[in-house]
Amino acid sequence: MSEYLFEMRNIVKEFSGVRALNGIDLAVRPGECVGLCGENGAGKSTLMKVLSGVYPYGTWEGEILFDGKPLRAASVRDSEAAGIVIIHQELMLVPQLSVAENIFLGNEIRKFGGVMDYDAMYAKADALLARLKLKDVNVAAPVMNYGGGYQQLFEIAKALAKNARLLILDEPSSSLTSSETDTLLAIIEDLKHDGVACVYISHKLEEVARVCDTVTVIRDGKHIVTKPMSEMTTHSIITAMVGRDIENLFPKVDHDIGEVIFEARHVTCWDLANPNRKRVDDISFQLRRGEILGIAGLVGAGRTELVSAIFGAYPGRYEAELVLEGKSIKIKSPEQAIKAGLSLVPEDRKRQGIVPLLGVGDNITLATLSHYAHAGQIDRQAELQVVEAEIKRLRVKTASPELAIMGLSGGNQQKAVLTKMLLPGPKVLILDEPTRGVDVGSKYDIYKLMFELAAKGVAIIMVSSEMPEVLGVSDRVLVVGEGKLRGDFKNVGLTQEQVLAAAISHAAEGPAHAA
Amino acid sequence: MQSQQIQQLFVRYKILALLIAVAIIWVFFHIKTDAAFVTPGNLSNLFRQMAITGMLACGMVFVIIAGEIDLSIGSQLGLLGGVVAILTVNQGWGTWTAIGAVLVLGLLIGAVNGYIVTKMRVPSFIVGLGGMLAFRGIVLFITGSSTIAPAPDNLIAIGQGFVPPDVSRWIGGLIFLAMVALTARRRVRRTKLGLQQAAVWIDVAKIVAIGAFIFGFVRMLNDANGIPIPVMILLGLLAVFTYVSTQTVFGRHIYAVGGNMEATRLSGVNVARVKLVVFAIMGLMCAFAGIITVARTGSGSPSAGTGGELDAISACFIGGTSMRGGSGTVYGALIGALVMASLDNGMQLMDVDNSWQMIIKGVILVLAVWVDVLSGSNRNG
Repeated sequence: MSEYLFEMRNIVKEFSGVRALNGIDLAVRPGECVGLCGENGAGKSTLMKVLSGVYPYGTWEGEILFDGKPLRAASVRDSEAAGIVIIHQELMLVPQLSVAENIFLGNEIRKFGGVMDYDAMYAKADALLARLKLKDVNVAAPVMNYGGGYQQLFEIAKALAKNARLLILDEPSSSLTSSETDTLLAIIEDLKHDGVACVYISHKLEEVARVCDTVTVIRDGKHIVTKPMSEMTTHSIITAMVGRDIENLFPKVDHDIGEVIFEARHVTCWDLANPNRKRVDDISFQLRRGEILGIAGLVGAGRTELVSAIFGAYPGRYEAELVLEGKSIKIKSPEQAIKAGLSLVPEDRKRQGIVPLLGVGDNITLATLSHYAHAGQIDRQAELQVVEAEIKRLRVKTASPELAIMGLSGGNQQKAVLTKMLLPGPKVLILDEPTRGVDVGSKYDIYKLMFELAAKGVAIIMVSSEMPEVLGVSDRVLVVGEGKLRGDFKNVGLTQEQVLAAAISHAAEGPAHAA
Repeated sequence: MQSQQIQQLFVRYKILALLIAVAIIWVFFHIKTDAAFVTPGNLSNLFRQMAITGMLACGMVFVIIAGEIDLSIGSQLGLLGGVVAILTVNQGWGTWTAIGAVLVLGLLIGAVNGYIVTKMRVPSFIVGLGGMLAFRGIVLFITGSSTIAPAPDNLIAIGQGFVPPDVSRWIGGLIFLAMVALTARRRVRRTKLGLQQAAVWIDVAKIVAIGAFIFGFVRMLNDANGIPIPVMILLGLLAVFTYVSTQTVFGRHIYAVGGNMEATRLSGVNVARVKLVVFAIMGLMCAFAGIITVARTGSGSPSAGTGGELDAISACFIGGTSMRGGSGTVYGALIGALVMASLDNGMQLMDVDNSWQMIIKGVILVLAVWVDVLSGSNRNG
């Protein structure tokens, strides 16, 4: 048993009755790198929160052994003291502080009375960076002077400064270029030689294949398989990740698909922080009347950026040529997009969808208020009639249309946001993760509404991370990976494996086409 | 249980708590000043003192609901007042032409502030701070740091004149009838739409209270020459601003922008334009306040309006406007202004030392907002 540095046994974690983790095992030897794979929502991040002490001992069942001894971390500090350090997908650096200050943040080398010993910190930071083969870094310069690749390595240096013996990397390459990723993987190899153990969480299976010795796949909170990488292929990993039937959650209705109504050409978005990096790289596609187009891909692939650029809402620099009903249209703001006949239901309901203090009715009419007004004065009666009708039609459960929307459940809030963006009467409806955080009943209502709209000739673009949803609802599926169009499939006999393979496949293979 | 119900009542009718606070303050000063506080003469004076802060608060409450702040309004008031004094006294412009010109100028200054905040994306706190210095500097420059007097008589009449008692009575009666009609229409409409109704006794009690208030207000001020014209203007502004905030598309958009700017933008609202207009209105209110200041004192003083922004902002917060934007009412802000004016007036009557006046006003501001936080009405989701 003591051959393992770290062992999790039969971990169970419940959230108000729902089992997010249901008997997960994970074990890592010293100097070994274990790849942890699973779809979005499989339970990877919950598992990492158990592991790193975000969920303290006692809030979950099961056992964690570290160095053969039980680990009962009450907080992140405890697990870090034991030598477990997690590096999050979002970098946790303070851009204005220097490299050395970041590496020792919360862990500063002090002289007497809390005064920082800069000389010692600089020297040790230099030594740590040398271990990572990073030369030419001025540890006294602010972190923001360095690019994403360097920053990822600073995070690793920070972990090493805490004497990490188990390093957990969560999607470490999601903001890196391919050459930066190569450097990162080489460094992980070096760390393995030094006896540091790693857990590598990534959707990019070719990276997992390159750097990991063992692979563990989880799905729906359950442990599926753990095998040496030598016995696995990327294909077998994908099969293990997906491997489930789609239940008949989707009230699919036959609808006619008409002529091309909308076209987006050469959509390109640049990263806000890193102007050389493209979040969306020259994507073009067509959309037909009455068609539901699913956009699949992994988190961070550039799907949200793609649709927000089309809607005129991307905050950074972007380019897009749009054609609606044969006419070229210019869209620079959501205001213009809605006028042109486009609607977008955003991904983050709380931040982008609702105005929490306003009433349900006021939220519903926010996009179309001027329709119920004469010379700027709101005709409350006309407004309320529309609101009441919409609330009934979509079965929004609220005691009164005047109730502040923040009091409603997620599903009902989402229905209100959806109807808000339907009231302008869009020709093209864009839904970004329309059922995120929504209960099953509301999900069903939302799918039903989508099919009704499609039958009426509305063209729908749906971005979704839930594979069953993509396959259950879409007529056609676009797959986006690393900002590029990786596949364009008709949804006839399409499988999750095909979609996932396209999403993960290396850019060099080019877009995949089925049948 | 009981205390919880009372708390709920106050959360729903925040105005009730504020009015009780005003009543307590008035009773306190009345006793302390040997019955010199609640007299027609003093109240007339108090309302006139409050009128200027009230005008600024009307504009400020929109700015704060929209999620911004404007610290330059005291200096804007000084500048616009200075311009009206120079135009009438030194340049010999007619009073009404000068007033018109200054109102337009106020609107423009506000619009420029709004442009810098929305299009050039300088935080409004900084724009206000810069404007506070720059506008004050311009006043000192154009007035040569000296008071400009005497203002023409017809300008002074606006600041010091009164609505004749008979007309005051008529106006009071009309306002009362309008309130009754509005309440009745509201009930009819809500019944027709099947909406929840307030209990009949609450509406009746509201109307009776409003009637008693109007009657007492008009009667009291008629004993002291009638309603002062600045107070009448303020009441007019209260009506307009309440209408805009509750009945118009623009008003709804102000609340939406302050409540969640990103969601509002994605709903196709031009959020920059909404904020720009809000700042322009703020400038217009500074022009009103500046003109009335000159009219009241009969002269354009280079230091007029100093600290006015603090009174206006305090009034908004005492009146229950949320610091994070998205909620607040115009009448709340005006009652807040009444609280501030009552404290000023009462302490002056009591001959409290200026240092203590400042200490007490500061403490009351913090206290009022603390009570508001406690009542949970400012909890955002």
